[in-house]
Amino acid sequence: MIKADLASLFGRHEFFIRRLHSFTGLIPVGGFMVFHLATNASIADGVEIFQYRVNVIHGLGPSTIMMLEWPFIFLPILFHAMIGIMIVTRGKRNVFAYPYPENIRYTLQRWTGVIAFFFIFWHVFHMHGWLKFEWWLNYVAKPLGGHQFDPTRVITAAEAIQASIWIRLFYIVGVLSCVYHFVNGIWTAGITWGVWISPRAQRMASALALVIGLFLGGISVAALYGMNAMDTSAAQAGRASSPSELPAAELPAGEARPASGQGSLADRP
Amino acid sequence: MTDSNGSQRQGSHRPREIRVRVRRQDGPGQTPYWETFLLPYEPDLNVISVLQKIAALGKDAEGKRVPPVAWECNCLEEICGACTMVINGRVRQACTALVDRLLEQQPDEIRLEPMSKFPVIRDLVVDRARIFATLKKIQAWVPVDNYLNLGPGPRQSQENQELAYLLSKCMSCGCCMEACPQYLKIEVPRLPGESEDDYRRREMEITNRAFMGAAALAQIDLFNSNPIGAMNARERLDVLIGEGGIQVCGNAQNCVKVCPKEIPLTTSIARMGRAATIHMVRRWFDL
Repeated sequence: MIKADLASLFGRHEFFIRRLHSFTGLIPVGGFMVFHLATNASIADGVEIFQYRVNVIHGLGPSTIMMLEWPFIFLPILFHAMIGIMIVTRGKRNVFAYPYPENIRYTLQRWTGVIAFFFIFWHVFHMHGWLKFEWWLNYVAKPLGGHQFDPTRVITAAEAIQASIWIRLFYIVGVLSCVYHFVNGIWTAGITWGVWISPRAQRMASALALVIGLFLGGISVAALYGMNAMDTSAAQAGRASSPSELPAAELPAGEARPASGQGSLADRP
Repeated sequence: MTDSNGSQRQGSHRPREIRVRVRRQDGPGQTPYWETFLLPYEPDLNVISVLQKIAALGKDAEGKRVPPVAWECNCLEEICGACTMVINGRVRQACTALVDRLLEQQPDEIRLEPMSKFPVIRDLVVDRARIFATLKKIQAWVPVDNYLNLGPGPRQSQENQELAYLLSKCMSCGCCMEACPQYLKIEVPRLPGESEDDYRRREMEITNRAFMGAAALAQIDLFNSNPIGAMNARERLDVLIGEGGIQVCGNAQNCVKVCPKEIPLTTSIARMGRAATIHMVRRWFDL
């Protein structure tokens, strides 16, 4: 009965829900992903630059971050994911019978969407532990391997990713799936909203999407390479001796590049 | 004459026998099964003549007597769409599926299946009532009936005529729907003691809420771009963004590739996407 009511509610607002799904994928979710990837790519300039970028963001304070995170990141992702799963289950893929390029892209859009769904939910748990309650983080998230990231010590992100080959692989597959899904989504959204109409316009938009995809893919690979190549043994050595205080958000001098994990990085108990 | 031309064209692809595998079904809702038939090779056959020869043969490859395969055909020149079926895994019309070409691509057998997105009536015959129900739903016509002579209609630009010609070639064959990953089969089971009229009414209520498919989206484009048809444009746009409307499209773009009439379906879909965007905003702000 409830299922039938939900189906009828979805049916009556199908157009609006699908357009909102398209919109949330582009603006809050996709836009945030680009920002997130760009922030992470700063690790290519060294861990201090990355720490500085993270400090700037976390310098907003937990309340402000929460008020930005929930309405502009988490709720749109949850909505986009729920409707996306519904869309995947309501299609019957036929790429082997009709192996045209656009059909392959359609099928990949569904697969990368499902991978991104699992990756993002796990990633937010792995790094942040989902909920910011003390008891939840200490008694649920941490024992289950979540909440690995400490924003005051960005090296913890690299440690968490380097923990096993499976985590490294899942990050590579997950991040690249997100990039494909976003970039192909830009192209299909342009058709959905009626921005590019003629076959020629659609081809040109497709080429543009490919360029954006290569660019974002490059940024992602740079960030992942930085995370995977970072020397975390020095950081672990530094952790034992460093003082535990939040470093000030100041830009380190460009030429001065001390070894990673040196004393200025704050620690957690 | 035909014979010598045929053998010259086909060369090494000429087998002695043609193996035809047909996915059969004895009635609506029954379990489908495969049956194989063997025919002596002849040049210049199409799939319709193969089906006629199977009916004349009356037995399968093992020599067992079987009822003839049921199929539909009408114009035999890819104009009516009645003989649409899935041939070697791809949806197309049987009349223009030439056996010599099929054997070039796949020499061992020809595989015939009914369309998978419509309820099977028997063997290769499917019930395409949903297509016509959708055309009613979108008002795929130009209303000109009246008690008075309304005089000649408005003039159409050459550009508009050229577009309308492309879109008006649609024969409602179902290829675009069969190849569409977003268009799903709907088979409404009959209730005990239900009259045919009641069943059809219930079936239409259910199918009208499902995806209308690429052909119907292009027909909305056709009739909304007609100067007289445009007088009902907003009613069609309401259906366009209603349940089962344009939002179900997933941009796999198979429709435009399998369309035998080469209708620019994806261009129409994108144009209707823009019309839907504008219509949505209009409905919010100026009722």
